[in-house]
Amino acid sequence: MADEKRTLPPIDRVWNFFISVKLAIITLIILSVTSIIGTIIEQNQPPEKYHQIYEDWAFALMDRLTLFDMYHSWWFLLLLVLFTVNLSCCTLDRFPKMWKVVRNPRTKLDENLEKTLSLADRWKKKGTLQDWTAKYSAALSSSFAKPMVTDEGNEVHLYAETGVASRFGVYVTHLSIIIIFIGAILGNVFGFKGFVNIPEGEAVAEVPVRGGDQTQDLGFSIRCNAFSLETYPSGQPKAYKSDLSVIEGGREVLRKTIVVNDPLQYKGIWFYQSSYGQAGGATAQVAVARKDGTPMGSLALAANEDVRVDGYGIVRGVNYDQDLQGNGPALQVVVEKPGQPAASFWLYQGRPDLDRQRNDSLVFSFGGLASKMYTGLQVAKDPGVNIVWLGCALMTIGIIMAFFLSHQRVWVRLSPAQDGRVEVVLAGSASRNRLAFEKRFEKIQTGVKAAGQ
Amino acid sequence: MSNVILFNLTTVLFGVASALYLVALYANNEKISAFGSWVCILAAVVSTAALGVRWYESYQMGIGRIPVTNLYESLVFFAWSVNLFYLVVEKKYGSRTFGAFVMPIAFATMLFAVYNDSSIQPLVPALQSYWLHAHVITCFVGYAGFAVSAGAAVMYLLKARQEASHVSEGVVGLLPACKTLDDLVYRTIIWGFPFLTAGIITGAAWANYAWGTYWSWDPKETWSLIVWLVYAAFLHARITRGWHGKRAAVLSIAGFLATVMCYLGVNLVLSGLHSYGGG
Ligand code: HEM
Repeated sequence: MADEKRTLPPIDRVWNFFISVKLAIITLIILSVTSIIGTIIEQNQPPEKYHQIYEDWAFALMDRLTLFDMYHSWWFLLLLVLFTVNLSCCTLDRFPKMWKVVRNPRTKLDENLEKTLSLADRWKKKGTLQDWTAKYSAALSSSFAKPMVTDEGNEVHLYAETGVASRFGVYVTHLSIIIIFIGAILGNVFGFKGFVNIPEGEAVAEVPVRGGDQTQDLGFSIRCNAFSLETYPSGQPKAYKSDLSVIEGGREVLRKTIVVNDPLQYKGIWFYQSSYGQAGGATAQVAVARKDGTPMGSLALAANEDVRVDGYGIVRGVNYDQDLQGNGPALQVVVEKPGQPAASFWLYQGRPDLDRQRNDSLVFSFGGLASKMYTGLQVAKDPGVNIVWLGCALMTIGIIMAFFLSHQRVWVRLSPAQDGRVEVVLAGSASRNRLAFEKRFEKIQTGVKAAGQ
Repeated sequence: MSNVILFNLTTVLFGVASALYLVALYANNEKISAFGSWVCILAAVVSTAALGVRWYESYQMGIGRIPVTNLYESLVFFAWSVNLFYLVVEKKYGSRTFGAFVMPIAFATMLFAVYNDSSIQPLVPALQSYWLHAHVITCFVGYAGFAVSAGAAVMYLLKARQEASHVSEGVVGLLPACKTLDDLVYRTIIWGFPFLTAGIITGAAWANYAWGTYWSWDPKETWSLIVWLVYAAFLHARITRGWHGKRAAVLSIAGFLATVMCYLGVNLVLSGLHSYGGG
């Protein structure tokens, strides 16, 4: 044995290394143990953070081993490659053999085969071979599956099987893992992940890519028309929504309100609702009317910013108080008219008519503060994701085929006995769940024996 | 809240069932363990009702949602699955001695749950997804399978030691034969593994729908992968290298420890190190 091993050509020895299941078990265990590291050491943090936690020498060593981004380190990727090569070789090595067995089943119950089968029964019948062949074929068809008949003149063999698909379960499962890897690689090479904040009313055409300084040109622009937040009575966010438009060639081509768990997709690029916040400071809403009460429109005053009102002067919001002297929210406004000293006064949100007392040509009333929001969007393009889902579907199917189907085979051999009767041997085997098959075999036994009675 | 009262009752029933099974084991009394089985069935009814009531109460509070979204709920759901999984095994194998090894797991889980916040909290937007339902249910059925497997593995190790020394007295003597236990260790994994696989896949689908990445190596994901890899190693060792008995039992126990880490450890232990985690 050992000699034989040593004399194998190197290529075969390499092949034998890569098809071994022992290697697979070792790789699986190493992968699972090393994966733990990245759950204990927080990944992809800024270096300063690690320096706070670890001594310099430990930091240097861990950095050297890429433990701060270990799932993308050369050695982890190498393990994954080893795993994939092992899986592919092993599967390629076994598939043809299995295929042969499935294509050329042992349709004859010879003595060698009979010895290996634990479920067997034998009896004798009066009559002719042909007669019993017909009867047992029919009985097998109704109690199990339609048999294949091999007539060798002095001996007749019947062979029937079900659940051949279970033999393919392993291969579907293994293939599915490789398909998932292909999908993941495609996504990494041809896709991108980014994140962008868009203030209400604004649009962007490119997004910063995660984990780098680059930006990705979208090829169209995306506008946030409005953002809204719904809260539970406790104040916890219940839902946040962004009304988004896709603008291409100056036209709106798609509009959708997205929420968490319901993204927008255009040309393979997905926009996911991810976060939100206040865009810039708040603005004060001030309604303007003529002395006679005719409305003139409204002003949005950002803090300390001049707003020109034609034919009047400059208006500026300079101060805000949530509850001025117990009278509720109020805004302090400064008005500068040409050639006059600046006037400063307070507007109370709760008393919109109070400003008439100033007896000016325009009357202001404060409608409250409004803050502009921005929506935070996760942006992703992943051309491999559907391949990953295909792999996942195959994996589920493959595992079910492998675990819950069973390749069940039943043989019948009819031969002339010395006493002139027909000798019958019935035998069966199952690739898994033998207990269940034993029960089924009993039923087949009864069904076959009852034939021609 | 009436659901919490029902869950507390469930805890008591699990405790009673565990005690009955253990006493039956020591006293070698089939009647006591049969009584234990009835208590388990009653507990199954009560805990199922409790889950339903909790679901209903969440609707009444205006935040209607499936009751599997925080630590308390996941613990009671896990205990519920273990109990059901156990009852199926008991029926199939026709032996009640397993109960002494499995029901204490359900009881301990419920005791732990009782010390957690049992109020119904509203769902943050990321959790409002149908994928969540499929994800949590598949994961927990998988975990339950692994729990039963680990229980059987512990029984196996006890039994095997005794068989090796050729005595068959005492409590251990009453355990099912090594062969049956070994078979059970394997078969429960055969059920647990596909469910865990489905759990990981639905989790990935959900993450993809909520955040645009199906896999981001966060500790919870990574630990579920670790669990999956350990059981994949178990299956291959068993099928192609004939690992039976002791080595298979040890691997099953290791897999269950990884499962516990994935389920609780990531939130309770690692959250001390990281900013994520929480309920
Ligand atoms: C985590 C990754 C893997 C998964 C999920 C997986 C899944 C499976 C499944 C479901 C089976 C069928 C088990 C049964 O029939 O009861 C199987 C069998 C098998 N696997 Fe894997 N496998 C993986 C990795 C590997 C690797 C890396 C190898 C490389 C050598 C391998 C080699 C085999 C072999 C030789 C069989 C037995 C085939 C037979 O029964 O003829 N597997 N695997």
